[in-house]
Amino acid sequence: MQDPVVFRVERILRSPWLIFGAGAVLAGALALALWLLFPLYKGLLADPFWFPILVMAIMLNLILSSTAICILAERKIAGFTQDRFGPNRVGFWGLLQPLADGLKFLLKEDIIPTQVDKPLFLLAPAMALIISLSGFAVIPWAGEVRWPWAPDTLVSTQVASLDIGVLYVLAVASLGVYGVVLAGYASNNKYAFYGGVRAAAQMISYELPLGLGLLCLLLTSGSLRLEEVVRQQAQSGMWYVFLHPLPFLLILVSSFAEANRVPFDLAEAEQELVGGFHTEYSSMKFALFFLAEYAHMITGSAVLVALFCGGWAPLPFSSWLADSTAWWALLIKLGAYLAKVAVCIGLFMLVRWTIPRFRFDQLMRIAWLSLVPVGIALVAGTATLTVLGLQRTWWACLGLNLVALLGMLWTAARSGRTVTGRQDDLPDIHVEPA
Amino acid sequence: MPILLILMLVLGAVGLFLALPGGRADLSRLGLLVLAIGAALLVAGLTQQLAGEPGQALFAGCSLVALLAALRVVTHRKPVYSALYFVLLVVAVSILLVRMQAEFVFGALLIVYAGAILVTYLFVIMLAQQARPAPYDTRSREPLWGCLAGFVLLTQVAAYVYRRPASEQAAVLPRVGGDAILNVATPLLTHYVVGLEIVGVLLLAALVGAIAIARRPAATADEGED
Amino acid sequence: MKEEDVLVLQEPRLTAAERLYLPQILDGMGTTLRHMFDLGRRQETVCQYPEDTREGRGELRLATYRGVHRLNKDPDGRVACVACFMCSTACPAHCIHIEAGESPWPDREKYPVKFEIDELRCIYCGMCEEACPVDAIKLTPNYELVGRTRAELIFDKAKLLQVFEETKAVKPRKNPAVTDYGLTGGQPRAVAQPNVERKV
Repeated sequence: MQDPVVFRVERILRSPWLIFGAGAVLAGALALALWLLFPLYKGLLADPFWFPILVMAIMLNLILSSTAICILAERKIAGFTQDRFGPNRVGFWGLLQPLADGLKFLLKEDIIPTQVDKPLFLLAPAMALIISLSGFAVIPWAGEVRWPWAPDTLVSTQVASLDIGVLYVLAVASLGVYGVVLAGYASNNKYAFYGGVRAAAQMISYELPLGLGLLCLLLTSGSLRLEEVVRQQAQSGMWYVFLHPLPFLLILVSSFAEANRVPFDLAEAEQELVGGFHTEYSSMKFALFFLAEYAHMITGSAVLVALFCGGWAPLPFSSWLADSTAWWALLIKLGAYLAKVAVCIGLFMLVRWTIPRFRFDQLMRIAWLSLVPVGIALVAGTATLTVLGLQRTWWACLGLNLVALLGMLWTAARSGRTVTGRQDDLPDIHVEPA
Repeated sequence: MPILLILMLVLGAVGLFLALPGGRADLSRLGLLVLAIGAALLVAGLTQQLAGEPGQALFAGCSLVALLAALRVVTHRKPVYSALYFVLLVVAVSILLVRMQAEFVFGALLIVYAGAILVTYLFVIMLAQQARPAPYDTRSREPLWGCLAGFVLLTQVAAYVYRRPASEQAAVLPRVGGDAILNVATPLLTHYVVGLEIVGVLLLAALVGAIAIARRPAATADEGED
Repeated sequence: MKEEDVLVLQEPRLTAAERLYLPQILDGMGTTLRHMFDLGRRQETVCQYPEDTREGRGELRLATYRGVHRLNKDPDGRVACVACFMCSTACPAHCIHIEAGESPWPDREKYPVKFEIDELRCIYCGMCEEACPVDAIKLTPNYELVGRTRAELIFDKAKLLQVFEETKAVKPRKNPAVTDYGLTGGQPRAVAQPNVERKV
């Protein structure tokens, strides 16, 4: 009773020719259009006002579409780590899966339960997405560029060059909780509500280690401007992750928590809260939360890369391209930046499929009893180094980090407590054989 | 002072008094109507005043949003909505601050108010939410005196602004060069360092006090839970 | 319970590195990474169903597979079930519906007049076969369960017995091990030998 037409369609969909052919055709058409229209937008590219707007339009679309790819990548990685293949039915190697997912989300019934607080219920997913996307404004994607046809104007690939760059990132990150909290509140469902409450407590707690880690970095860089931080790293070749591995770790852990990702995804804990804050959401609204989570992850990675991994600097321990403003350098820098962000996202995903979720008290203990003390110690140490003028010497910074690490080890060994707070002197467990 | 400005302020005060929760529903609707007339006047005045300056549209828009949000903070009957309107107010004001090159204050306002304090408020309000709205949410305590005080204050500010010479009114803020953070931080840590330290000590004392209040004695700890 | 029956376990004392948790995370990530790049293992483990079947892959884990249920028949060809309701009590999904009647045969008291399993509600946990004292209900390796309506997938007694006929060659009925009833159905108790495999 097999329907041959269905199988034939499936075979066509799964052939590599379809997806790579269509991709090649689309890319060719795009390149052709760009080439033909070049005189039209040539002026815009060299305009200091319009160029950032173009960057914004391009990067926003890039990020929104890469969230779809992220979802595919996540499912693939989930499959691979669990000895499976992941999605491989829609399109060659499952490459059309994002399209199918999007179609499914759009076509599903959009249910609004009767007892919800309707305005807030509708506002929450939009808020989540808007806030997680607005962090991109200060990312210096590829430094500055001087086009060959307008050698006098230097345009920046950063949308908004704010004096308070890093502070802006913090501000946006701290607003990120509203989407989740509102969704939890408006759903009028106790599980969703618990999710919202957990998210709020978690985000407030993890902003502290995030801020402390950033403080170490800012003491070193002496500037809050992201492009300045990146330029320093590119010129010296000494990425700040090599100088400050522990603050990097602090910020990495906090950005996991801020993005609500495993192991800190208590707000949606499927097992206890049946999905948490997005339990009541369906169809495209649910998809918006999904998009927001991935956009948040991409923002977090981009900021992390800019602050610690040299941003657009292509090579560590080298100042290659640091002062170049040629157009081809722009492409290399952008590629380097995106590659680093991709690696960072890969790390996020690998962690998700490795580490089990923390319990809520463990989560709080990690923030307040482990990360915050280490962060304060590191800030004090870095401040001392700054006073001594040693904040950018590698041996001083690494020495500080080593001392902090040894201190952590020593405390861990002495206190008999794990970072998650489990006691070592637990009572014996009695087991009765059956 | 032109009669229009006075009229606007009076309309605002009367409308707010009527719109504040506590009275009867039809009266609060009337209050909203009065407020809407006041807002319309304000919009008309603003468009006339700023007709030639397209850059001022952002200022006008954000100010209107901030005013509206502030009204809803005090008039809304659901505390969650009040808190959210406060967030909107903070965001609108912070945009105005960016316009005035006060980037640091913008960041600080967003982080401290919208990011931390209001999240905590929301948290508390959500936890304290009951089946029916509490009386202190549905009635404002002193609507008459509150509105009167606000009216007097606003009138004074308006009169002061209006009395200033025209040259000073039209003056654009001088563009301060250099890094916004540096401009804030340098005087703070040189000229005003004593004040800064005093504030720091004050905050520390408040923190210790808060912990002392929050930490109940162990004996009564379990009976307080209900 | 005797004193020597009690096992006292001491949780292993964690080293400082283990308490720090970070090395353990790296260790775990190493494990996931290893699995990620182990293509051979993936191909060995996964059976890509429509193109690839378990039978085609050398009975890939088919012996322990829990698929569609069947009702076993005893050697005389009667339904082995004694309508004791153990399976429907054990069922976490409440998908087994039994109506008992007085048995027409002298060797047991009851037999199922009606025996229905909702295959759509079932979670295929296998607790029914664990619970069965006479080895009457069994999960077969048959995983191709398709229907066009919901009603079609509520299997009644006749259908379940038919599944037995279809699958007894691949998975013969074992002797019930739990009771010393032995094989139900007319045989003297002396003959019954628990735990001995016997073709039905």
